[in-house]
Amino acid sequence: MAAPFRCIYRPLWRVITGSGRLTVGMRNISFTENHFSATNHKTASVGSPWTLHGAVCLQRLPVISQDRNPIEEEFSGLMQQMELERSLLSDHELRLLEDAARMSRKQEEDYDSDEEEDYGDKEIVTAQDLEDAWEQKLKQFHPAQRSNGDKLDVSSSERCLADSLVLLIKQDVGSQKVWLLPQVQWKAGETLRQTAERALAHLPADVKATFLGNAPCGFYKYKYPKDIQKEGSVGAKVFFFKAVMCSPNHLPLEKNSFAWVKKDELKDFLTPEYLKQVNRFIMSL
Amino acid sequence: MNYLTSIKKVILLQNTRALMCAASSVQNELLTTQKVPWGALLTNRQYRSMPTHGIGKYRHLLPKTLPKKKKDKIQMKQIKAASDTEFGVLNVCVSGYDMTLVEHYSQYIHNFCNHLDIKVVESYALPTKTTEVMVMQDQGTKMYVDGILKTYERFVQISEMKATLCPIFMEVLLKNQPEGVQLCVKEHTEADFQSRFKARPELEGLIAKMNN
Repeated sequence: MAAPFRCIYRPLWRVITGSGRLTVGMRNISFTENHFSATNHKTASVGSPWTLHGAVCLQRLPVISQDRNPIEEEFSGLMQQMELERSLLSDHELRLLEDAARMSRKQEEDYDSDEEEDYGDKEIVTAQDLEDAWEQKLKQFHPAQRSNGDKLDVSSSERCLADSLVLLIKQDVGSQKVWLLPQVQWKAGETLRQTAERALAHLPADVKATFLGNAPCGFYKYKYPKDIQKEGSVGAKVFFFKAVMCSPNHLPLEKNSFAWVKKDELKDFLTPEYLKQVNRFIMSL
Repeated sequence: MNYLTSIKKVILLQNTRALMCAASSVQNELLTTQKVPWGALLTNRQYRSMPTHGIGKYRHLLPKTLPKKKKDKIQMKQIKAASDTEFGVLNVCVSGYDMTLVEHYSQYIHNFCNHLDIKVVESYALPTKTTEVMVMQDQGTKMYVDGILKTYERFVQISEMKATLCPIFMEVLLKNQPEGVQLCVKEHTEADFQSRFKARPELEGLIAKMNN
């Protein structure tokens, strides 16, 4: 590699919360840079015919768990039924039974309340009342929708909540407009990861993302068409870095230039060779 | 008198010898071919030249275990240069209110580490923390207990994970994180290690008295 590739050692300090609809909270990462500069230090001016680019593979993690198969549904129903049949009664259920027995004893004619054991103020609030009160509270709680249906198009990041989505951008490369992962050319003196961070910052939407590591996850090289090839440059090499989005992005992005896509929808957007390299590092959940 | 008792013993032994002759043929050969002192007839031991002598012994095959010290030492971190940077000792902490989810997720992480040949040093749980949720009553100033929440925590301790493997590892963990479970990856420190021990108030009181 022609680029000086400084390896940065950093102690990890991450607090990542995943809870239901609200996506991830704070991520705090602290850096310490140690220069291990014993190895490669060739500057780009020495000459390699390839221009370097850093690209970022920004992912929105799945917010909710996936829906179950019919078989999985059946099995989970069966397991729940088995567990219910094998379980013992809880305190609350025991109280319900006791109260019901006491009520039936009260209805009889020869009821003597002094015979009952001292149960304090359970007369006032029975277990059934508590249960009714809890049911009322439950009815007031409205969970968020699991799937937004087809109302949202490709440029919204709230699309498929059960899958992980990747951000694609329509950029002009040469003379054509092509869909690809956001990339930016490498400048001398910075690490490739900083190039990727710059690529992220260049996006018009303000997203906070955490990079998962210093090592690139993928690589793609392409040659310029013959008429553009100058003496110095034959083509370009792109290094991909993975990043995970922290804050939910509510800003609407332009429909024609941004897309949040799942892994199987990638083939509709990317060119075949690019797709082949990108598919190698994008995991389907 | 002693002579009589010894004769009686010998006669008794002769009887037992007859019984044992009837019992097994192998022992028969022993008794007839060799001059065995009559003390040995009392036991059923295999003689040392028997091929199956000591057939059930296994203690010599086990590794030597030293008597365990009261306190473990914390491992030192390792920093290799250049592209093979490895992290030291990391703690992956899984916590949440639902015990089944927390346990299953921590087991998943442990199995995943075994599958990727990441060294798992320890896998332990911290004691359950019980939280009472108290709500103000609608009319009046009294608080009543609305519910009891229990927080469960499980730790998986990893050592010497390669920095190139780390992004893949983190991504898989994040993508498979269930709802309602918090994931936290941090470095292992001495304070973390000490927090697992119970506080000893009497000992601390005595030490304070000694110092005063």
